[in-house]
Amino acid sequence: MDHRRYMKVLKLDDAEIASRRAFFELTDADLSRLAALRPFAEKYTDAIVDRFYDLLLSHVETKRFFPDEATVRRVKKLQRDYFLGLFAGKCDAAYVEDRLRVGTAHERIGLSPRWYLGAYRKYMQLIAEHLLDNLKDDAMVRQAFESVQKIVYFDASIAIDTYIAAKMDALERHQAAIRELSTPVIRVHDRILLLPLIGAIDSHRADQIMDSVLLKVSEAQARCIIIDIAGVPIVDTKVADNLVKTTAAVRLLGAEVILTGITAQVARTIIQLGVDISTMHTLSRLSEGIELALTFVDKAIRRQPRRRSGQRAGASSPKTGGKPA
Amino acid sequence: MKGTIPLLRLGSTIVATIHTELRDKVAQDFQDDMLTELELRGANALVIDISGLETVDTYVARVLAETGRMAKLMGARTVLVGMRPEIAATLVRMGYAMDGIQTALNLEEGLTLLRRRRREMP
Repeated sequence: MDHRRYMKVLKLDDAEIASRRAFFELTDADLSRLAALRPFAEKYTDAIVDRFYDLLLSHVETKRFFPDEATVRRVKKLQRDYFLGLFAGKCDAAYVEDRLRVGTAHERIGLSPRWYLGAYRKYMQLIAEHLLDNLKDDAMVRQAFESVQKIVYFDASIAIDTYIAAKMDALERHQAAIRELSTPVIRVHDRILLLPLIGAIDSHRADQIMDSVLLKVSEAQARCIIIDIAGVPIVDTKVADNLVKTTAAVRLLGAEVILTGITAQVARTIIQLGVDISTMHTLSRLSEGIELALTFVDKAIRRQPRRRSGQRAGASSPKTGGKPA
Repeated sequence: MKGTIPLLRLGSTIVATIHTELRDKVAQDFQDDMLTELELRGANALVIDISGLETVDTYVARVLAETGRMAKLMGARTVLVGMRPEIAATLVRMGYAMDGIQTALNLEEGLTLLRRRRREMP
């Protein structure tokens, strides 16, 4: 995701920015105070940024983000721009977008929020030190520092939101991938579908299985669908009940469900739980399921007559699988 | 015929294509027409095509199942064809699986099914 998409995801429009500014009590007076501090900031940027990086480079976990001198020089330059940005005296959409860009970059390189917040603490300390040295009047220092604090916290709120939005985005993409993988309906033959189920089935996935099975059967105008549950570790009442429901629904469409991959353990569980699956075609092995499925489309698997040299084809072939009833 | 649902004769089969909701009078007329047709023409099968229906609630499902049972009393078998996947899911989730009703994917499949059954038991 680039920072422009984050602007949209986080709904950072003018109204939202105004609302945040109001809550952080970041007034126009603060902004003009920050703008007035610009010469001060320009004078001490290098000193502050250098000491800022002394901290980052002294800590083993933050040091790894700056592998060589060139990187350090490059990020120091960016940092100077960022620092001066605090004293631009502006807090509009363009400002927020710029801050978002920085946040997105941090997120992308995997700099976690704790280092971000910790580093910001250092900024505050350095700014406070220089303000105390330069402004003689205590009241002025307090006011200036308050304004800095407001815009820094404002920035931090955007950065944290960026981190959360990025994580949410990743989570959603993973969930979509899992959803897609959880019901892989395969076409194994003309009008015969196969759904190999693997992994635990919760009620959410169970619902999804039913919807997906019905949709695929209807799309392919399939005569039957084989559901193989060999890869499902636990078949409990809920799972069994859902399979019975799916079978009933598929039958309403005018197709059949064949349940295969029933292990001894699962067979025992189903009977002990008292689930009535008498309405379903059940078989232990997938290969048997495919053979049964073929009978629904008037086909059968036949053994190929073995050809030997000097012998007529089919002369000694074993009994072929006859036409099904 | 007094109803709005057209009944089509194909040999000894009656095909009913439903695209309006089966509400009160419509359902009543449909059943009457269908039974009259069975009585007068002596058809032995009924195909109800609901591929045009976007929703089927339990009331409509009951009317359809009921029609099937009425036809059966007059010696005709019923095949329900073209149910949409989302309708099937809804009906089953509401616990209404329409047991005992024969189904097929589409009209063609339904007619094939009937032909096959006729061959099996003449």
